[in-house]
Amino acid sequence: MRTRGWTFGLLASLILAACGGDPPTQDTLKTDGLADSTQDARVRKTKNIFHNIPSPMETAGLLKKAGAEYDKDILNDVKNVDNYTSASKQALNLGIYGADLSYASVFNNTQESMLYTACAQNLAKRLDVAGAFGQETVDRMEANRNDRDSLLNIISETYWDVDAYLKENGRDNVSALMIAGGWVEGLYIATMVCKQHDTPELRQRIAEQRIPLGELIELMGTYSTDDPAVAGVKGDLDALATLFASVAAPTASNVTQENGTAVIGGGAPPATVNDEQLKALSEKTMSVRNGYIN
Amino acid sequence: MKHLRSLIALTALAALPVVASAQCRSFVKNKCAASMLPYKFNETFNAAQLAPGEEAEVDLTFFSGQEYRLMICAHPILGEVNWKLLDGTGQTLFESMANDPKPNFDFKVATTQQLKVHIDVPQAAKGGNEMINVGCVGILVGFME
Repeated sequence: MRTRGWTFGLLASLILAACGGDPPTQDTLKTDGLADSTQDARVRKTKNIFHNIPSPMETAGLLKKAGAEYDKDILNDVKNVDNYTSASKQALNLGIYGADLSYASVFNNTQESMLYTACAQNLAKRLDVAGAFGQETVDRMEANRNDRDSLLNIISETYWDVDAYLKENGRDNVSALMIAGGWVEGLYIATMVCKQHDTPELRQRIAEQRIPLGELIELMGTYSTDDPAVAGVKGDLDALATLFASVAAPTASNVTQENGTAVIGGGAPPATVNDEQLKALSEKTMSVRNGYIN
Repeated sequence: MKHLRSLIALTALAALPVVASAQCRSFVKNKCAASMLPYKFNETFNAAQLAPGEEAEVDLTFFSGQEYRLMICAHPILGEVNWKLLDGTGQTLFESMANDPKPNFDFKVATTQQLKVHIDVPQAAKGGNEMINVGCVGILVGFME
């Protein structure tokens, strides 16, 4: 009877913990049993695991503020979704459709937002992440389709959930591919809209992508030795980094106050790309992106 | 029955990392995300279980003209977690425990640049038992749309 009680107690604790009770119970681990080299390596990896790439939604918002206009013809065709049979293509295109979804939603194109939501959800299901992006999410988006702010919040929350779900299930490489796909699509959209509506602000936003690209390459570098798909993507990003190498990246880090808000930096000229750099970056980005969507 | 106990105990141990990670997602979502409003938070999940004495770092890109909220959300079991925002030269731009402890920092950047967040989880109090408490630490970046 005592054993049965102990067993039920343990099972109940596990189920409650897995359900994410509120507030969550924290683990208490015994140091002795875990202090081996594997554990040390895991802890070291955990300490260095944070790689943060600006979200496709922030990129789309920056493009809008820079004067970009919406062009649905540059986005990945929704009909392509069934062509992606390998997990790596599915992950890359989950990121690409996610970026397209953000772009369409930021520019308030509800009809296309719902189409790209369906594509992203299709890929999420095939990648077995429907637990984070299922029909319930699509229904929520449908119910809020005319409330732009709510729609943007649901999209952000959904992609955050997908990323968390992948990472907590040890599928960080799939997450990395999704993030890379989203970043490449964001750069592709930026270069394409700049062709149609070339402004100094858009050139600045393209030039600034040099910084997150460096972080993305670092992220990919943590997988490249044992994952051919990630290694291939890292090669593409390295090629883009070569083209970005000649783009100046100004830094300035003094802190001043402006109406009670801290302002970091200032005084340095904004980054930009010249015609030659823009042409080379546009062509390479299109080539890389076409390799992912076809 | 003894074998059953061992089997269940092994299953429980094997499930711990996943359960702990799921708790971290739940913790950040339920306890931290609401404090980011009205900022839209970045879609990258940056959270992990950290132990006393551990450190964590993340490089973040901030774009000129944007308004940001940076928040480090740590489980209270870890105590007062100190974090700093550093520029490319290592100069501290903000420290959470410098004056009144602040969980978040609202700011703008005038020049697009990469900044580093450094997190220090305090050491556990001396004289404790041989157990260590592991708690979730989430790094949230929000931007004003």
